[in-house]
Amino acid sequence: MNGWMGKIIKIDLSSGKQESVEISDELRRKYLGGRGLGVKLYSDMCSADIDPFSAENPLIFLTGPLTGLIPTAGRYQVISRSPQTGTICDASSGGVFGNQLKKTGLDGFIVIGKAEKPVYLLITDNGIEIKDASHLWGKNTQQTRDALIEVYSAKASVASIGPAGENQVIFSAIMNDKDRAAGRGGMGAIMGSKNLKAVVAIGSKEIPVADPEGLKKLLLKVDRLIDKNPVTGKSLQLLGTSVLVNIINAHGMYPTENFQRGVFNDAEGTSGEKIVEVLLQKRSACFKCPIACGRSTKTENKEGEGPEYETVWAFGAQLGINDLTKITEANYLCNELGLDTITTGSTIGCAMELYEKGAFPQELKWGNADVLESLVEDIAYKRGIGAELALGSKKLAEKYGRPELAMQVKGLEIPAYDPRGVQGQALAYATSNRGGCHMRAYVIAPEILGLPMNLDRYSPDGKAEIVALLQDISAAVDSMVLCRFLQFALSISTFTEMVNVVTGWDYTDDELLEVGKRIYTLEREFNSKAGFTRKDDMLPSRFLEEELEEGSSRNRVVQLDKMLDEYYAIRGWDKNGVPTDETIKELGL
Amino acid sequence: MENLDINKIAKMIDHTELKSSSGQKKILNLCDEAKMFGFVSVCINPHYVKFAYEQLKDSDVLVCSVIGFPLGMNTSRLKALEAKQAVTDGAKEIDMVINVGAMRDKKYHFVKDDITQVVEASNPAHVKVILETCYLTDEEIVKACQLSVEAGAHFVKTSTGFGAFGAFEDHVRLMRETVGPDIGVKAAGGISNLKDALRMIKAGANRLGTSAGVAILEAISLLKFAPKAWMEPEIPCHICPVRSANISKLPKGVYAYYKKKCLTCEYRDKYNRFYE
Repeated sequence: MNGWMGKIIKIDLSSGKQESVEISDELRRKYLGGRGLGVKLYSDMCSADIDPFSAENPLIFLTGPLTGLIPTAGRYQVISRSPQTGTICDASSGGVFGNQLKKTGLDGFIVIGKAEKPVYLLITDNGIEIKDASHLWGKNTQQTRDALIEVYSAKASVASIGPAGENQVIFSAIMNDKDRAAGRGGMGAIMGSKNLKAVVAIGSKEIPVADPEGLKKLLLKVDRLIDKNPVTGKSLQLLGTSVLVNIINAHGMYPTENFQRGVFNDAEGTSGEKIVEVLLQKRSACFKCPIACGRSTKTENKEGEGPEYETVWAFGAQLGINDLTKITEANYLCNELGLDTITTGSTIGCAMELYEKGAFPQELKWGNADVLESLVEDIAYKRGIGAELALGSKKLAEKYGRPELAMQVKGLEIPAYDPRGVQGQALAYATSNRGGCHMRAYVIAPEILGLPMNLDRYSPDGKAEIVALLQDISAAVDSMVLCRFLQFALSISTFTEMVNVVTGWDYTDDELLEVGKRIYTLEREFNSKAGFTRKDDMLPSRFLEEELEEGSSRNRVVQLDKMLDEYYAIRGWDKNGVPTDETIKELGL
Repeated sequence: MENLDINKIAKMIDHTELKSSSGQKKILNLCDEAKMFGFVSVCINPHYVKFAYEQLKDSDVLVCSVIGFPLGMNTSRLKALEAKQAVTDGAKEIDMVINVGAMRDKKYHFVKDDITQVVEASNPAHVKVILETCYLTDEEIVKACQLSVEAGAHFVKTSTGFGAFGAFEDHVRLMRETVGPDIGVKAAGGISNLKDALRMIKAGANRLGTSAGVAILEAISLLKFAPKAWMEPEIPCHICPVRSANISKLPKGVYAYYKKKCLTCEYRDKYNRFYE
């Protein structure tokens, strides 16, 4: 069983009981680990109408076969049904938590039940212990980490929720290793619903590898591929993910004031270049990562990590704010409170537009950076106006009678690329199984960055096929479990090689791609059972009807219907977006 | 397209590192990568030829040295001496830059003699003649190709990568049509991904000069899936040299020549994106 430790534990917080979950070789080959295996286990364990906040709802933490063995593979995935969207959801996070967890001898663990009082899990080489966390409840994620590190050791890796998760804000994140976030979909809120404050992992076991020499040789090639790629070998290293601010703005698709415009006049002042100039203390890296895209930063008042591209946008252009210090401190606060920055910022932006249109009673004006800190805090504690914003943009906009002003898909807020400037990314947003997300298929790479090849960003032609392909590869990579930035530099053949050299299998590229397709279709099948159909593979009407007025993405709307029909046909789903019996059979679901 | 032979493509690529800022470590990496990925050669500045030869002498990767680079305005004698030295140091291929100014002045005898001296000094190494097509009209490109063949060169090559723009498929096509099947055509400059590379090969190039060879090979396995979608046409203006034709970099006459091409381009009405 090379690549795996061979053990997954199910732990019931209600009873304290633990049991091993057997994973057959066939299941590993069909779903790998991480996202894929998690979705499979989850959909086998419960029905699609399960209440995400019920005690019975499983919350699954998994590593993958490559965890701890490949640069960037310190990651882990958390899988459950999202309280924010109602879809199946997986959230992924970097740092070193995944590596530490796997080295305890576990490939992962499944949490069910609800503890009577706050607890945390201590996972060591000797197994899992449930520990009292009453003294930690109410603390932010940094304080929680510091307290647990002090009790155990600096080697320990801590994943925890902050006040937002405790208060079950539906877009709460799980934070690990100080500033790394399993951010999207509200997995932190599910931890909170179970009274699970944190997980501490300290491991020292060796991970078995089928061909250690082959792995060593392959890693030399991977090192070269990363180094020679313009994104992983240079841009991300020098400027972090915020390198994209000026690039996307120049393409006229940098969402400004809730996607009303595609050009932010103050983009330069909030760019990756500016962050390096005024905030950067040092670069930071996840497990063995040569890219080191992380930014350790400092303002006059505080220090922390970030802001990443999505966050600098969510608290910047999305709100018409150009104060980089305030943006950065809002980011720090989200990390401490345990909030998804994309949804937090985008929901505030939605409220600002609601106010602008006379549909929201509380004064919230574009560009007012002074309100950021209090708004973020109020959201985490569901206080005052924060209780409204904690609904997320979809429910907020519905409540105030203007649902079209929520820039979301399936209840998850769309990130920082206006889809009117990128037809393929638009389709990827619409068909994402976890809602408005750029990480199911990052079509920005070919449509904007020319990686691995240029595609005409204005054209819908061929995009359905590309989106399906990138979704499948991404699902496989998420199941290995690797950082998706590797996809800039590595193609499918190298990923296949990695899996084979670690596990001793003889996967072909086609088989690996089929794993991705199987995972994507299984997610879709779960969502279909939960009531999601074609009507949910939909973008806000703004992107379908309103043209941008300036910038190089102007005079265009998303041509969704045409692409959607092609996409369903390629997927083997019916006209309503539901996998056909034939497809389900073909993929062995 | 789905059956692209990765080894065959690798053997078309001169793995290139020509920046003046590149230190020895970069060249060492370049040589390691050339061996690892099976490129035909490393294309480097003369200063590193001996060093690269030492790294590659037990492999089948050739050392290719640029000469008179990047402006081509050295004297012919110096170019020949530089080439001879490079061959002595281990170069098996020589990429020389023509005297572009002389070419534009129609001093064809001088241009041919300039090439001839390098070809003779380089023997038995093969010589590729860099025309720097960004500074030439189509008519001048055709003439430069003819002079190169007459001078005994083995290849004609589009660009240094340091000019106003790099390889352009129409130029490659024109060069192939002019030199015929027995002379090599090398496309170089701005070839940054697999699609660029395939476009050049389709236009007639049988050698590619690029620093993105590693990424180009890596992308091949992806092209097997969704080949038609990957090869959907690009925005024509994005792969047209006119996009790079700015006044500061080009001679007046050449700038006007390319602007005129743009104004009469068949894609202009459909896309008109250059002037957006």
